[in-house]
Amino acid sequence: MSVQGATVRAPVAQKQRRLRHGFAQNVPLILALTILVALTALYVGLFHGQLHRYPGVFEWTSIVNTAVPTVLVAVGQSIVVVTRGIDLSLGGIIDVSNSLAAVHMHPGLGSMAEWTVVVLLFGMLCGAVNGVLVAYARLQPILVTLATLAILQGLAIKILPEPGGAIPSGYSNALANTGGPWSVLYVLAIAGLWLALRRTATGVRIFAIGNDEYGARAHGIPVKRVKTIAYTLAGMLAAASGLFLAATTTAGDPAAGDVYILTSIAAVVLGGVSFLGGRGSALGSIAGALTLTILTNVLFFAGIDPLYQSFFQGLFLLVAVLLGSALGHVLRRRA
Amino acid sequence: MSEISAVGRIQGRLTRDRRRTLVAFGFAVIVFAVGAFLHHGFASWGSVNAIVEVASFVGFVAAGQTLVILVGGIDLSVPWVLNAAAILLVTTSLGRDGRAAQAVLLTLALGLATGLLNGVGIAYFAVPAVVMTLGMNGIMEGLSLGLSKGLTCSSCASYAPPAVQDVVRTDVAGVPADLLLWLGITIMITFLLSATTFGRRIYAIGNNETTSFLAGISVRVVTVALYMLSGLFAALAGIVLVGYGGQATLGMGDPYLFQSIAACVIGGISILGGRGHYLGTVAGSITLVALVSVLLAENMPDWGRSVVYGVSILFILLLYGRERRQL
Repeated sequence: MSVQGATVRAPVAQKQRRLRHGFAQNVPLILALTILVALTALYVGLFHGQLHRYPGVFEWTSIVNTAVPTVLVAVGQSIVVVTRGIDLSLGGIIDVSNSLAAVHMHPGLGSMAEWTVVVLLFGMLCGAVNGVLVAYARLQPILVTLATLAILQGLAIKILPEPGGAIPSGYSNALANTGGPWSVLYVLAIAGLWLALRRTATGVRIFAIGNDEYGARAHGIPVKRVKTIAYTLAGMLAAASGLFLAATTTAGDPAAGDVYILTSIAAVVLGGVSFLGGRGSALGSIAGALTLTILTNVLFFAGIDPLYQSFFQGLFLLVAVLLGSALGHVLRRRA
Repeated sequence: MSEISAVGRIQGRLTRDRRRTLVAFGFAVIVFAVGAFLHHGFASWGSVNAIVEVASFVGFVAAGQTLVILVGGIDLSVPWVLNAAAILLVTTSLGRDGRAAQAVLLTLALGLATGLLNGVGIAYFAVPAVVMTLGMNGIMEGLSLGLSKGLTCSSCASYAPPAVQDVVRTDVAGVPADLLLWLGITIMITFLLSATTFGRRIYAIGNNETTSFLAGISVRVVTVALYMLSGLFAALAGIVLVGYGGQATLGMGDPYLFQSIAACVIGGISILGGRGHYLGTVAGSITLVALVSVLLAENMPDWGRSVVYGVSILFILLLYGRERRQL
């Protein structure tokens, strides 16, 4: 009788335990999504309070278009951070991609397609160089990418000495459709790609390396190759970010990418991806990137002097990190 | 026999850290030699003096950076701590000598306070150093811009008090006073690192935090102290820069993040902690600034300088920044 009772009850208890375990594992991601939803609600509320109407197509389009470059580079940064690395040169790759597009892209499908491919390949090449230096030459990621950042920033100024150039309007329309917030599809697509990557051998290996590089190597994972792939993917995403940025601003700026060094790291942090590697999801970083974009709008509608913007961004970042680690502590103690 | 033992003794004294320091000074000599070869007078007393004086600004910031990197940390908040310090100095002193002492003390206190917050966040709340100091940099940037209204406030145009300017600029026995300050700080930090238990603790923590904790070192207190020193040195650099240039500007701290880390790298400080010495960083600062001066003298455009910067850092990393092979 008691045996039978136990067999009936066990699956339920197991399911509950698994649910609780899943929840405890994904606390950072859930927190990131909660912050995003709360901040979006705050934005809508403030907007309504100021203008007595709800944000419409124009507002959402502008927010999504501003967010997409951050989303792209944040996903790239997440992949690298999961391997227990960091990539400061992503900003430099955006600089160069943005400048290349602004200088060389002409109206006409051929030129647009050609330069899109060239820029993406360039980003992959830069990422591969970073990856080789980190994985094969055994150098520290933060120092390697600081050095390549300086090189890329130099190249960007060489290509486009000052902000300017032009992006064909066809390219802007195709990529950043200004008629509606359709760019949100890119965000969904990149989220889907992440989920797919997470389920490939490479995705699993990236996490394995971040958790325990030594153990991963002992299990026969080609650590060096996988690390190089991670940096290459990040470089490609940064190049895509630079292209999208060029499309939305319809011009180039050799220093346009510099702010994305910090915002990509901030998005990763807000997204709950661990800097110790092997833990977290790029979905969180996507939420973090969207959060950062909406935060700018919230600060604007809250009537805060734009000069104080980085103060609140820094404060927000630190509060979110402290909140995340405090919540993790509480939940782990209970479990 | 005695010759062999002499060689052995020298090898015993030439630890890896000391060797790297010597290599870093070697780089500086090479850069000066190349400069002198390309430009007559590059290695003259006046020219060297000027280069080393500019290097001292990097050296002040890099002093703090060295200390936190030695325990495996990093301080990305230096650009705006430096800038905030510079703005605070001119706005509180209003260019009057009578207020100079209080203003300098207040500015140094600001550096210590930001360092305290950084250290507490990193040591007690386990925030990664990159994240904590990045957030702090944003906070200081926002506060500097907001409180000074984008450096348009009425007192923002003030000059540094003449007393502060004199301390930085006057020559003492043919050597700029600023260099004597750097020399003093170098001696102090060398003493701290090489001859005190505090210094031993820094290296112990950098090599292995857990064993240091088990050995009874209060890892958190030491970490907080080091971040406070880093804030202090960034603030000091702000004061010296204002004294040198006269006025505060926005973004004046930005170049010092890359340069302070680069000086540490050239100086042979391991980013993983526990390896290296401030003397190496001193050599690294001089090498870096001398390199820039050579490139400037060669009329190298901006973009080229940036590329050469990056390539030389990579070169030095490949030379001795490589981690040990695993397995």
